[in-house]
Amino acid sequence: MKVLTQAQLKAWLDDLAHNLTLVAPVNVQGKLEYGKVSGSGDVAWDYQRTDMSPKTWLFPATESVLTVRQAQDGTQILEPPEPPPTVLFGVRPCDARGNLAIDALFLNKAPSDSQYARHREATTLIGVACPQMWASCFCTVVGGAPNSTEGLDILLTELQEDKQTLFAAQVLTEKGQKLAANMPGTEREVALPSPKLTAGLPTLRPSAEWQARFNEVYWQRVGDRCLACRACTFVCPACRCFDVRDEVASRQPGVQVFERLRAWDACTSEPYRRIAGGHNPRPTPQSRLRNRFYCKFMYYPQDFGSLGCVGCGRCIDACPVNIDILEVIASVEKMAG
Amino acid sequence: MSHSHPNPMKPNLATITGIRNLATGIKLLQVKLDDPQVSRDFDYQPGQFAELSAFGVGESPFGITSTRGHGEEIELAINRVGTVTEAVHRLDVGDKVGVRGPLGNGFPMDQFKGKNVVVLGGGIGGAPLRPVIQTILDNRADYGKLSIFWAARSPDLLVFTEEYDYWRAQPNTELYLTVDVRTPDWPHKEGLITTLIEGVNPSPENAITITCGPPIMIKFAMLSLKKLGFKPDQNWVTLEAKMKCGIGKCGRCNLGPVFVCTDGPVFRFDRVEGFMESFV
Repeated sequence: MKVLTQAQLKAWLDDLAHNLTLVAPVNVQGKLEYGKVSGSGDVAWDYQRTDMSPKTWLFPATESVLTVRQAQDGTQILEPPEPPPTVLFGVRPCDARGNLAIDALFLNKAPSDSQYARHREATTLIGVACPQMWASCFCTVVGGAPNSTEGLDILLTELQEDKQTLFAAQVLTEKGQKLAANMPGTEREVALPSPKLTAGLPTLRPSAEWQARFNEVYWQRVGDRCLACRACTFVCPACRCFDVRDEVASRQPGVQVFERLRAWDACTSEPYRRIAGGHNPRPTPQSRLRNRFYCKFMYYPQDFGSLGCVGCGRCIDACPVNIDILEVIASVEKMAG
Repeated sequence: MSHSHPNPMKPNLATITGIRNLATGIKLLQVKLDDPQVSRDFDYQPGQFAELSAFGVGESPFGITSTRGHGEEIELAINRVGTVTEAVHRLDVGDKVGVRGPLGNGFPMDQFKGKNVVVLGGGIGGAPLRPVIQTILDNRADYGKLSIFWAARSPDLLVFTEEYDYWRAQPNTELYLTVDVRTPDWPHKEGLITTLIEGVNPSPENAITITCGPPIMIKFAMLSLKKLGFKPDQNWVTLEAKMKCGIGKCGRCNLGPVFVCTDGPVFRFDRVEGFMESFV
């Protein structure tokens, strides 16, 4: 295994930023998100979990999926340019599993979502293992771990040796190998530290038991608080619903250019499931919030073979009315007796 | 630019070749796909839908109301109820639109062969049923009795009125009309489609039913059919949703674990009844 000093890692990142698009945790007015950096100096090194997940780079909040150009000489439908080769640095293992959850529907279920596939192919993921589960974290409840390698191309683990911070690099995929070709460091045996796990977390019940609890009054109670602000969905690394709409990009004499945009959508919002004419089969905030949990723990696993939750805990921190997905998991466990 | 991944969200360019008024606020749009190969490959079944783009405004799903084999044009009935339909209503013959499809499963017309078919259409819900009727009439000997129950809120909202005489003139074919609220010159029934069908009392023997209409109509039509002795597995419905992608990605049309766009929009009613979430 390659072992890098902090200085070596920073030099390597500077090199990557010079040749590729490097995206890493950055501090934007006190909030941590993944942003393009010009070098290691821009990276917010001291973070537990970013406020926004790196999903924003693979499935952007708003993105043009088509451009339509209408002119005298005809109408053309143009596809967006190929995304540039990109390295996502500092990805937490839970977020990498969030990408895998999105892959389950967007890539593994035909037809594949071409826009997402292009981003995914262009991107190499360098993870940094969590030394412990932070507050609100529950990755172990949903099949993950603070040092999970799933969905990553390279995983770095921080080591302390002789008062020096070192990074051990596990190169996991072909993409990772390509990127690591010029990675500095010393090849040697190293014992990776075990992350500190949170004890006493609930057990996630299988989807059949969720199905049996669908009509419990509990869903009324928990949904009573929901404001439909959609924050939980937007911070979620596994939520992937979207809306599509057109905007006028430019209108000049004889030439009109339109963009077809897709944007994150949330099943907790009222218009999400409303049909033309106004009818809504999920007419209450309670039924909409219940859908969010059932999607994650029953429908998504049943239909696409992956849980729709990776236990990052962001929705717990983001909710303005303290709706707590871990408490929901625990309540279903209790109902199941 | 060449792409490694074909884009399932990219519409095909099409030209509007005809527009006519179907009912108050409802236009029938005829479109022809610009690329002859794409047009030949656009092979659709009754009950399938297409996503129609009004460029610069958006894309919405519409049940295809034409029948494969009846000309190259694809026909869509557009009820003016939102931003996209509003924009489509402003388009003229010769204007460009985008078309993606055919999408969804469609009716299993072969399974219905040899059976009596009862069709219940409410308002714009008649649109995806028109190719069901046409397919039966094109292959008249393959199907039993065809009973069409056609309803709307008022006479001016009935769709495909100019085809009623043609339907009635076919062998072993009946048409029953009703409106919720009649006008003085309305010669047919007044009242809900449930009253109409219960009055006619079609036999459930060797029969299937196909219903499309607003959710509230489907709900009560199913109760009437039950009263008449139809079992849930004899009844087929086609459901509506605001399907943004039509290919099972955007999530906008889920009913529990089911996507209306890819698992439907056509469902046998016993399946719908077993859904975790009600569509009404």
